[in-house]
Amino acid sequence: MTIRLNEEARDSSHGLYTGLGANIMAIRAAIGNSPDLVVKELKWGGLWAGAVMYMDGMADTKAIADFVIQPLLTYDRDQSQAAVERGSQALTHLMQEVLEAGDIDKIADFDALLHALLSGSCILLLDHLTEGLRIGMGGIEERSVGEPITQTVIRGPMEAFTESFSTNTALIRRRLKDPNLWLEVRQIGAVTKTNVGVMYLCGIVNEGLVDEVRSRLDRIEIDGILESGYIEEMIQDKTLTPFPLLTNTERPDAVAAALLEGRVAIIVDGTPFVLLAPGLFVQYFQSVEDYYQRWDISTLLRLIRFMSFFIALLAPSFYIAVTTFHQEMLPTGLLISLAAQREGVPFPAFIEALLMEMTYEILREAGVRMPRTVGQAVSIVGTLVIGQAAVEAGIVSAGMVIIVSITAIASYVLPQVSMSITVRMIRFVLMGLAASFGLYGMLVGIIALFIHLCTLRSFGIPYMTPFAPLYVQDQKDTLFRLPWPLMKKRPSLLGRNNPVRQGDESSPVRGDTA
Amino acid sequence: MKPLLLLRISALLLLVLLAGCWSRRELNTLAIQLGMGIDKSGDDYSMTVQVVDPSKVASRAGGSEGTPVALFEAKGMTVHEAARKMTETSPRRIYGAHIRVFVLGEELAREGIAKALDLQYRDSEERTDFLILIAKGGKAKDVLNVMTQLEKIPATKLYNSLIASSRAWAPSTMITLDQLVTALTADGTNPVITGVRVIGGKAESGGGMDNISKIEAPVKLKLAGLAVFRGDKLIGWLNEEESRGYNYITGNIKSSVGNLACPDGGRIALEVVRSDTKMKGKVENGKPVIDLALSYRLNVSDVECKINLEDPAVIKQLEDLSEARLLSLLKKTVDVMQHKFGVDNFGFSQAIYRADPKAWDRMKDQWDDLFPDLEVRYQVKAKIRWTSTAKNSFINDIKE
Repeated sequence: MTIRLNEEARDSSHGLYTGLGANIMAIRAAIGNSPDLVVKELKWGGLWAGAVMYMDGMADTKAIADFVIQPLLTYDRDQSQAAVERGSQALTHLMQEVLEAGDIDKIADFDALLHALLSGSCILLLDHLTEGLRIGMGGIEERSVGEPITQTVIRGPMEAFTESFSTNTALIRRRLKDPNLWLEVRQIGAVTKTNVGVMYLCGIVNEGLVDEVRSRLDRIEIDGILESGYIEEMIQDKTLTPFPLLTNTERPDAVAAALLEGRVAIIVDGTPFVLLAPGLFVQYFQSVEDYYQRWDISTLLRLIRFMSFFIALLAPSFYIAVTTFHQEMLPTGLLISLAAQREGVPFPAFIEALLMEMTYEILREAGVRMPRTVGQAVSIVGTLVIGQAAVEAGIVSAGMVIIVSITAIASYVLPQVSMSITVRMIRFVLMGLAASFGLYGMLVGIIALFIHLCTLRSFGIPYMTPFAPLYVQDQKDTLFRLPWPLMKKRPSLLGRNNPVRQGDESSPVRGDTA
Repeated sequence: MKPLLLLRISALLLLVLLAGCWSRRELNTLAIQLGMGIDKSGDDYSMTVQVVDPSKVASRAGGSEGTPVALFEAKGMTVHEAARKMTETSPRRIYGAHIRVFVLGEELAREGIAKALDLQYRDSEERTDFLILIAKGGKAKDVLNVMTQLEKIPATKLYNSLIASSRAWAPSTMITLDQLVTALTADGTNPVITGVRVIGGKAESGGGMDNISKIEAPVKLKLAGLAVFRGDKLIGWLNEEESRGYNYITGNIKSSVGNLACPDGGRIALEVVRSDTKMKGKVENGKPVIDLALSYRLNVSDVECKINLEDPAVIKQLEDLSEARLLSLLKKTVDVMQHKFGVDNFGFSQAIYRADPKAWDRMKDQWDDLFPDLEVRYQVKAKIRWTSTAKNSFINDIKE
């Protein structure tokens, strides 16, 4: 079944009419006489007539005037006489000898014409001809390339993708100047007709992976794709999981690095977030900066990220479990100190934790959604309420505020926001388990979590690769980031087509070939 | 899918039913017990617990009046009954996992401590890392009823000073419940337990904040040598000197200090920084013999006389003197144990057993008779390592 709006009113899958007037009327009718369609009719004596049309604001008006209308109007009458006699050859003649634009091709199909028109191209139609010309004169207002907002680094490129498809592909191509960088574009979305590009490095990528991406993309039938998130949910291996199965990035260098490892990039027009498939668990702990900074600090930061992951996931539940079930595990001094804080707190530790975590989540959400102008007010109220007043009023203990704060901070250490969202959700489940069954319940929850993680796959590759299944030679870039001379090969599952990425003598330091 | 789902649901339900630790307790519903004492009261046990009031201990200046700990007492035919009866006076359930010290009254100790220990040994909630003390010449309750300075919680003060004194001075010995039970149950061994005493006044007067509102607290707690047990019954006390001798023999010395007379009058103090005791048993002509080899290292720590420490001969002389002095201490201690008490608390029996298990099998029933006449051979080796950060004392250079 194809999705189509306004089935009755429009049947545009036919060729162009012979009369210019009929074509113009049909186009006007198809877009509901919208006034942003600009039609400039041209006439050369009584010889023949034509029309240039474009959507106002989507095409570059000045360029159309200079390079399309101007050459046509100053066109020699004798030659035009000859051109008209040549019939449909006239278009080729115009294309090749008259129009001063580069991106031109012929259009015979009404559907394609409308699509080109609505994508910002300029259309030239001549009377008596059932073909027209599409002239690429896209001039839509675009945001310029700016700095990344969600994935910042201290050292590394400060460029981020924009909403423009062509800018994005160019940003990637600028980093990989190789003919093997292949791009396939398809339109997805019956109404939005969004350009979705699949980019990969032929010769490194596993063909099966590209085929799988293609077939999953081709299966999508939806009215609109407004962001890569639509695509992500439509093509991931499993819907019922809190874990993200595709990574997304707004950094061209991250995409280039992923392509070099044999992953596939999915670029969606209209969003700066590019999807990378497959997305494996460890990749959510890797930041591009790991490879820009020295390996030793990168390794330390990796370990800190894994630690933060567990803190963000477990700190509140561990606190609940230990203080309500396993007080004997605490050092005596700490127990007395915690007990003193809890004197007079009316709620059980679980409710206390839930209250604080919810307050924090609300504050966070407000921080994202609120209009910038009221930011100050919200943050003052938030700090006072969450930090001081709650403790001083004796509603929550100071220890709990510390736990909630460290949890909140730790969850933002992960370079991928999608993973910290996951952690935030699972945290509440574990808190419930800890409050009901103590450490025992927590452990059951953690085991269930790991079983779930081990069942996941992303484009056929086990999610926990290279931990489970274990690939010893791939451990060089998981918990640790070994120096480059020791990383001579690509990750084994992704890059098995073309495993070697460094020459043996590329460093004065002798490394093994691992 | 259906059976799998059913399986998952039942697994979840089992989680609820099998949860062994379904006993959620909020911190502010617990009375955290740090000290525990058991006394004899007629035929009953009288149990005393020292419970901490967290809000008065925590660092934030509360300024609230009253003592940081509370004492509750209850009597019962068995220890556990007494413990539960405590709820008649205590507003919260007593939580015993964090006991630091377990004090037994001397009267109870003379009648036998074993029965009073089982509850602590058996209860799943207890951590058995607390230290055991005997209230010398008094009741456990009196010991727990004294406020102490510096450490707000008296039980913690006892715990810390027991650790500190056994590490730095060595007249006391740390014994935990499992060590005590081992000593009680193994063949031929008997425990010793450090004693604690209330000094400076009546225990009742030491229980208020006024006791610690002075620079020198009128009523104090003091460690008071080792209590010697035969089986689980207390039979007597070692004085400080003998207690240190005991610790030398059992190899319990971390550090200690001794003094010697200088040849020209005055005294010199030597710090023991390392001590290693090798106790070997053997059977010669059917008679058990113990070889005690003790080597230790000394620092010259305090010179209060005129002496030339730069002369190796003088150092050698000091070493010899120290050896002779330690030897006499060891002999005296063994003699007290052999003839005054007649019980083997040193673990000599274990040494014999390790050397010759068959011979020990023949001896073990008459060990109490053999022990007083047991031959102990000593070998003491002292080594002065350095003289701290000075050589000769400035006392030598004082102009007269």
